[in-house]
Amino acid sequence: MSRTAIWILRAGFVGLLATIPFAVDAFWLNMAILALIYSLVVYSVVILTGFTGLLSFGQAGFVGLGAYAYGVLTVKGVSPAAAAACGVLLPTMVGFLLALPAARLRGHYMAIGTLGFGILVGQLLNNMVDVTRGPMGLLGIKSFGFDRVTWFYVVLCISLVVMAALEYLDRRTFLGVVLKSVKYDEISAAACGIGVFGIKLIAFSASALLAGSCGVLLAAYMRFLTPDLFVSAESFRYLMMAVVGGVGSASGGLIACLVLTGVPEALRAFGETNVRLLIYGVMVLFVLWFLPGGIGGLLDRLIANRRSPVRAFKTNELPLDGKPAPGRVA
Amino acid sequence: MTDPVLQLAGISKRFGGVQALQDVDLVGRAGEVHGLIGPNGAGKSTLISCITGVNRIDSGQIHLRGQRIDALPVHSRARLGIARTFQKIRLMQQLTVFENVAAGLSAKRFGRASGWLGVLAPLSSAAITGPVERALEVAGIADLADVKVDSLPYGKRHFVELARNLVAQPDVVLLDEPATGLTDDERQRFSALVCQMAQQGTLVLLVEHDLDLVGRLCDTVTVIEYGRRIFDGTPAEAQDNEAVVRAYLGSARLAQENQP
Repeated sequence: MSRTAIWILRAGFVGLLATIPFAVDAFWLNMAILALIYSLVVYSVVILTGFTGLLSFGQAGFVGLGAYAYGVLTVKGVSPAAAAACGVLLPTMVGFLLALPAARLRGHYMAIGTLGFGILVGQLLNNMVDVTRGPMGLLGIKSFGFDRVTWFYVVLCISLVVMAALEYLDRRTFLGVVLKSVKYDEISAAACGIGVFGIKLIAFSASALLAGSCGVLLAAYMRFLTPDLFVSAESFRYLMMAVVGGVGSASGGLIACLVLTGVPEALRAFGETNVRLLIYGVMVLFVLWFLPGGIGGLLDRLIANRRSPVRAFKTNELPLDGKPAPGRVA
Repeated sequence: MTDPVLQLAGISKRFGGVQALQDVDLVGRAGEVHGLIGPNGAGKSTLISCITGVNRIDSGQIHLRGQRIDALPVHSRARLGIARTFQKIRLMQQLTVFENVAAGLSAKRFGRASGWLGVLAPLSSAAITGPVERALEVAGIADLADVKVDSLPYGKRHFVELARNLVAQPDVVLLDEPATGLTDDERQRFSALVCQMAQQGTLVLLVEHDLDLVGRLCDTVTVIEYGRRIFDGTPAEAQDNEAVVRAYLGSARLAQENQP
């Protein structure tokens, strides 16, 4: 696909998203806003799992921390802006502290460790009744006073900007190469002079920052929180969205997040039974079967300016100064 | 003789009940190609791992340009100027050749305090493309820059690893059986590369079973057997050393007849 065609495609996608408030009713506008807010936590998985190769089953914990930090502070009378800053900072710091032990773990062990963190946060939110009001839910959260359409455009802008930044980071920057080096071969990366542990700390903190921002926006938009929103099953949902999006692709993650948030709601036409969840699950399975690279992989294939790799297969010719090499050395 | 770049003194390393290295000394000088040979299991790769920091030594000292490095982690040693290739090639398979070699720039960049400032610079900036393209050219793989490593034949991957070393402009390059699986043409290109690195003042430590190659390239060889150094000297001297012949060489010729 040519450069212009790619830009037209991108502009078309953004344009399509921008018309949502005029095209749908309040219910679907609400779903679209939630999906865009959740796209931030999907990006956080993209940074951690997609770019750096670390598996976290505890992202909902960071979202919960961000949301409740914002919620509790505004209920106590702190201004929304200051509360939002705290709501982003707290999960970032906790993410850094969690990474100190977690980044030393590998593969499954890291998954279990972060799962433990997610459950811990869920339990805290439920049981620290003095602070969070636990299962009764946190009411009276102050917000920024946006109407629904404004909310939509605010979160759309945030989501698109973060997506573009991540795509740029991944494909075009030196840091992108450094992160992927850690993902694909830690030993090799260390031998290249990359401080693997430090990179993992940074990835964890950045991921927690994004997940926390998601929590803050969620709390500010919904203005009501319960611990149910941040249980471990949510972490798996975020991970699934990222995987369907192609793990390493922020744009794929956004599309997957929009689709996978919308589809279960659209399937309510089949009634409120579990049949819709069954259909949903089968759909996800099919995507993974037929698109192993996820939506991001599909986009890459569409967009790729197909550079011919033919040269790579013509081996056995490394001419020395144009002269044919003699048959035997020495 | 130039000053020693790399000094190993009394290196010992034990894995459980196996004494992999016992009191090994080695001095490598700038611009020297230093062969490290010995029978299988003698501890050659262990010694490489001890120098790079993958394995911590039990006793002894390692100095790089006079600075003691044996307590430093792998990436810090790389930043101080130690580059290596692996016996079983280790590259980032899903990345392109260009990206792999660019990763090799980390040693220089993160070695500076200001290294983090440039991490968001685009890959297409001259600070990155300049050295990477030069390294690719020297290694003879400039035409493969945009190819993913996993679609490359084995021989070419050796050169990607070498280019990744070259780009870091290291003081010491450790090559662990780099000529395995190379065609004759590639072997010749490889020899030329090693000579070029040495001429530019790099110490090349070469672990290799191809004695032909070792004899031709190396200024000095160190022979180890059962984790002990049994010889240190020129290839010609090694040829005449009874212990070396008994332990490793057998009937193989290490020194070339036509060598001065």
